[in-house]
Amino acid sequence: MNNKTVMTLVFLAVSGCAAIQIPPDRLEGNEASMRGAEELGASGVPAAKLHLQLAREQTISAKKLAADGDDRAVMMLARAQSDAELSLGLAREVSVHADAQRAADELKAVRARGTP
Amino acid sequence: MNHTAKSLTLGFSLAGLLSSCATVAPNELVDARNAYSASSNGLASQLTPTDLHAAKTVLDQANTEFERNGDSLAVRDTAYVALRKIELADVKARTEADHRAIAEAVKQGVVVRDNQVKYSQAALAETREALRGERSTNAAQGAELQRTASQLASESEARQMTQTRLDAAMKDLHTIASVRDEARGVVITLSGSVIFASGGYTLLETAKAKLDQVAEALKDQSEEKRMTVEGHTDSMGSEASNQRLGQNRANAVRDYLVSRGVDGTKLIAVGMGATRPILDNSNAENRANNRRVEIVIRPAPLTER
Repeated sequence: MNNKTVMTLVFLAVSGCAAIQIPPDRLEGNEASMRGAEELGASGVPAAKLHLQLAREQTISAKKLAADGDDRAVMMLARAQSDAELSLGLAREVSVHADAQRAADELKAVRARGTP
Repeated sequence: MNHTAKSLTLGFSLAGLLSSCATVAPNELVDARNAYSASSNGLASQLTPTDLHAAKTVLDQANTEFERNGDSLAVRDTAYVALRKIELADVKARTEADHRAIAEAVKQGVVVRDNQVKYSQAALAETREALRGERSTNAAQGAELQRTASQLASESEARQMTQTRLDAAMKDLHTIASVRDEARGVVITLSGSVIFASGGYTLLETAKAKLDQVAEALKDQSEEKRMTVEGHTDSMGSEASNQRLGQNRANAVRDYLVSRGVDGTKLIAVGMGATRPILDNSNAENRANNRRVEIVIRPAPLTER
């Protein structure tokens, strides 16, 4: 459980609200997917960037719902996680596709050198 | 119609309206169903069936929730997640296709490079074989060259030894004769009074030792040399007698040199008489100097080589 989650729960306890506890591993998984997408350059891929933004917004929304005791928080986090994973997949797709293009170009070059 | 009947009518109408709304699937669910329908006939069904199946499971949850309770936030949220998972299955399928394309390209590249290497190896083997053949020829030629070189070395050594002997012999001649380089060749001059008795052409015994030295020097002359023995006289006596005396003296010297091993085919005798004095014949000393035998060593004419 990260510090943010702990602080949220402490706040909720102190404030006297019946907060919903988001499973820490799911929150951590969500955060990891978003970090992964960023590191793979999602901000440079329009579709990936869009879904990463959706993931961030929905994560914030999930935390707020959890703080308010709204049990929709878990589903909101699930939405955020699905967008984060899609963002990561899209960013990875661009990277691998570039590798595939390079491989095709290299094969072309090798063939061009020819086998007399 | 009374008030109660109107209320009941309104109530039933509203119930009917609400029940018809509950059967209209929310956009998220419709989009998810359509996306799954497309994906199940596409690349994802072949390359990422597991991911597609996981998405289908979530879609089924949304459908079940919708059938039970109609439209709700839960249905929409679940359908939203299903749609994202279907889209992710498609993305992963495209990525997998690229991975396979990379692997195939690498494999093809290896095959092409392999063929290129095989061709290069075959060409290299041919070149080596050709070189082997050349080396054999070169080895044989080398051996022949070596033999020729050895032969030349031997001949060179022999010539060197001959030249050394010749140089030594010519050096020795200086003690008994005059040896000069002239335009017509090397000229060895022997005084007539040293070789012959006065007026005659019989060799003096004392002259023979000197002529032996001359013979030594002449024997080692190269094949490309020709030698002439010239018999010269002073101007005393007639031209005819001087010519005859000169010739006889030249013959005597020539014959002796040939008897001492000089190649007779390369040595000729010529009587010069008094035609080529080296000094005027005005006094006895000069006349004595004019009475001489000259042996001229000259290069052979090109036609004789």
